[in-house]
Amino acid sequence: MQLEFLLEQVVNGLVLGGYYLLISLGLSLIFSVGGVVNLAHGAFYALGAYASVEVTQYLGFGPAVVISPVAVAILGIFFERFILRRFYTADPIFGLLVTFGLAMVTEQAIRIIWGAAPLSASIPPAFHGSVFVGDFLFSRYRLLILAVVALVLLGVWFLLQRTSFGRVVRAGIQRPDMVAALGIRLEPYMMAVVMLGVGMAALGGAFFAPITVVQPAMGDEIITVAFVVVVIGGLGSFWGVVIAALLVGVVRGITINYVPAAGEASIYILMFAVLLVRPRGLLGERIEKFE
Amino acid sequence: MTTSMGAKVRPLLLATLALVALPFLLRALGLSLDTGIWAVALAVAAMGLNLCIGYTGLVSFGHSTWFGIGAYAAGLIQLHWFPNQIWLPLALSMLVVAASSFIVGIIILRRRGVYFSLLTLALAALSYTTAFRWSALTGGEDGLGGLKRGSIGTISLDNAVAYYTVVAVIGLAALYFLLRLTRSPFGHVLVAIRENQLRASFQGYPVERYKLAVFVISAVVTGLAGALVAFQNYLVSAEAVSVPFAGELLAMVVIGGMRSMLGPALGALFFVVFRELFSIWTSNWLLWFGLTFVAFVMYSPDGLVGIWHKLMRRFRPLPEEAAAMSKRKIYDGLPLPAFLRPDSLEGTVLEVTGVSKHFGGIRAVNDAGIKVAAGEIHALIGPNGAGKTTLFNLISGLYTPDQGTIRLQRRDIHGIGPDAICHQGLARSFQITNLFRGLTIYENLRLSLQARRPMRFNIWRDIDSFAEIHAETAELMKFLGLEGIERIEAGALSYGGQRLVDLGIALGSKPQVLLLDEPLAGLAAAERERVSNLVKNIAANIPVLIVEHDIDRVLGFSQNVTVMNQGEVLMTACPQAVRADVRVQEIYTGKGIPAVEHQRIDAVAGEADPLLRFDRVNTFYGKSHVLNDATLDVREGEIVALLGRNGAGKSTLLKTIAGLVPAASGSIEFQGKDIARCRRRKSRGTASAMCPRAAACSPA
Repeated sequence: MQLEFLLEQVVNGLVLGGYYLLISLGLSLIFSVGGVVNLAHGAFYALGAYASVEVTQYLGFGPAVVISPVAVAILGIFFERFILRRFYTADPIFGLLVTFGLAMVTEQAIRIIWGAAPLSASIPPAFHGSVFVGDFLFSRYRLLILAVVALVLLGVWFLLQRTSFGRVVRAGIQRPDMVAALGIRLEPYMMAVVMLGVGMAALGGAFFAPITVVQPAMGDEIITVAFVVVVIGGLGSFWGVVIAALLVGVVRGITINYVPAAGEASIYILMFAVLLVRPRGLLGERIEKFE
Repeated sequence: MTTSMGAKVRPLLLATLALVALPFLLRALGLSLDTGIWAVALAVAAMGLNLCIGYTGLVSFGHSTWFGIGAYAAGLIQLHWFPNQIWLPLALSMLVVAASSFIVGIIILRRRGVYFSLLTLALAALSYTTAFRWSALTGGEDGLGGLKRGSIGTISLDNAVAYYTVVAVIGLAALYFLLRLTRSPFGHVLVAIRENQLRASFQGYPVERYKLAVFVISAVVTGLAGALVAFQNYLVSAEAVSVPFAGELLAMVVIGGMRSMLGPALGALFFVVFRELFSIWTSNWLLWFGLTFVAFVMYSPDGLVGIWHKLMRRFRPLPEEAAAMSKRKIYDGLPLPAFLRPDSLEGTVLEVTGVSKHFGGIRAVNDAGIKVAAGEIHALIGPNGAGKTTLFNLISGLYTPDQGTIRLQRRDIHGIGPDAICHQGLARSFQITNLFRGLTIYENLRLSLQARRPMRFNIWRDIDSFAEIHAETAELMKFLGLEGIERIEAGALSYGGQRLVDLGIALGSKPQVLLLDEPLAGLAAAERERVSNLVKNIAANIPVLIVEHDIDRVLGFSQNVTVMNQGEVLMTACPQAVRADVRVQEIYTGKGIPAVEHQRIDAVAGEADPLLRFDRVNTFYGKSHVLNDATLDVREGEIVALLGRNGAGKSTLLKTIAGLVPAASGSIEFQGKDIARCRRRKSRGTASAMCPRAAACSPA
């Protein structure tokens, strides 16, 4: 009984971890390649959720989860071109400050456009109900999310590890000046990485809109957790982020079961504990510009 | 080089005037005195935060934690132990903040830069969820209510004017304390840590202790503000510890200006007035505030104070400093100032035996030994990559050796850290100049002379009251030949000047043995002569271990020479023996390679068209003029070798071709097209590939 219960919590934690993963992966990529801590990432997640709620009203759920990430990714082009690009070579602190300001502005803009009250979004009828997987009862919608996260993960992994695009991006994380010396302009790659990153955040927002509260400050709540995941996993490490997201999800899931009030706190305590043992995170490498 | 009394008290006078004028200003704007209390309390919080950000370079996203802990502690202490009192709860809450920030600081100050900021961000989120969820203690969502302001004698502090006065006086006291602190030896070290933490630790400062101390002080000041706001509202809510509030505090600092003491206070006033005035006609004032904040970060990172200085510059331009070095007075052949001469040294001063260091699979230094005796100049030579600088790093404490012993005057200094090694009497200079670039030359040297005295931890006495330190600094400036240009920023000096300052910083630590890493590299001929003489003068009293690539010169003035190759010590002998040694000659000229005829047959060269033309190119690193009208042709079918000693500009020339360093003037033609102005050679088809000399390839 005890073991089964624990197993169930672990599986629930994995679902939660998948949710964190969509946000954290893009954050980690932008952070690793551009050296900018994008505190506005949560704002893109919120925009993704709001856009999908809006589109669902006219076109339905299916088109909404495609259109909303694409629209946000296009917004990402402007974000990269006119703001982020100025901060790649600056002291990372200024990138932190400017994206913090943008997060504030976006949240207020959402408040003005959609109002301060939470919006309601519903799970599409096709995914109502639950199914048994082995001994466990799962809601269909959560399984769908898990499948989407797994697909996205696979896609990003393939992109980074198996394509020439990915090779340039990974080289850019380590030695941007060497990449430039080989005659490759990093700017278009960076723009693509930002589009990919904010697009993933928006995708997360679109899929989670029906099962969380869609409200203006939703980005604030996710962004700190996403950073905790990135810091625990280690900067510049793909698998570090994956492992950390699942770990954070599981730890939080188990804690909520025993001490509900400490659920939120547990992930920060986990982070401080990991950093005491491994200062650069689980799989982080030494990257000079962040020291 | 002391600061005038007027400049010292000006911030305090300004603040007093502002505090007196504020109530009238607010009334004119139609705002209440409560707004004034808010503004003053937030000003104190922001100034406390700026001690971390602006002075020490620690960008904290989590100061809402201290603001909140201060507020909750004061509230809880009043409710549980001292009902209706305000003074004891205030004082005790400061103690609570000090204790908790001390513990947290030990953990999160282990990391620097962006990591530190992210840790503080997580701290803010942690304290918010704690305050929000632990409702038994904090009242959770409802907040902690029922606080009292108490009274002074018969005057009740519930009166807004009375409470404003109290807050204003406390604010002035905090400002006075912060001003004393920043003018003290302690405060000057904070700025040194911001400018260059590594060098500060090599100067003998235990930087971790300084950072922990400033973190605690800054937290206490911000916490005090939190407590004042708690009594102002008669309530503490979880909003006081929220992450957005942490960001707002940061915004106040940036908008006001982090490079000055009163800047953040101005930012706080701006924030409060902005909020009150905008919220009258729009509920979306935060949108406009956010946009203002973004605009400041992008266009005026020095804030309102920075804008003010820029405006003032229009009317009173700064004096031209271009020809800085020419203003200095040089006295040749000065003896080493008496205060720098160590007590009589005898025999072996520094003894390194069997030291090894491996990096992964690379044996950077293997079983190396070296002895430096009193009164000698000991040269350490060897080709690039021989392990000379690594050996320096091992001796001076940057790395801990895997094996071996290092003794300084028979005391073991193995693995005790750079600052402790400096206190034992070993100082070093750096191959690539390593200065406090934003500080004046005078301050660079003064920091060194201050580091080895007990007063370095003093947080109260003004730096100008230590006359002896100033006298010593002046004498050191004179010895180095830098007299007359004290006020120039180190980063603005020419390269030769920076090398002198680097040497001076090491010398200012009053060492018993001095390690110099290529002090002549990149200097012009006349300058080399002068610095060599300086080294000889120093060595009359302090033994010098010197790494230098100018072999002829270094063999000319050293008494003993150690030759390293591939991480190992090849031999130690007098210069004549080294010069005559066959193995040394082989290292420097190579062996077993057939002699190549380096002859260009002009007839052939004349026929082929140049593929790459490099014509009168000038390249600068900051002020350092590295390539001077460099000209070079590469023709089809040619291999062109680029020779020259270290610091001659070979790598810079390659980097300029590759576009990694911009050329200031001149033309670079590739296949007839000028590519000098293309950044990073984005012109397609320009197939210039660069093979870096160190293994700098991406491990992808």
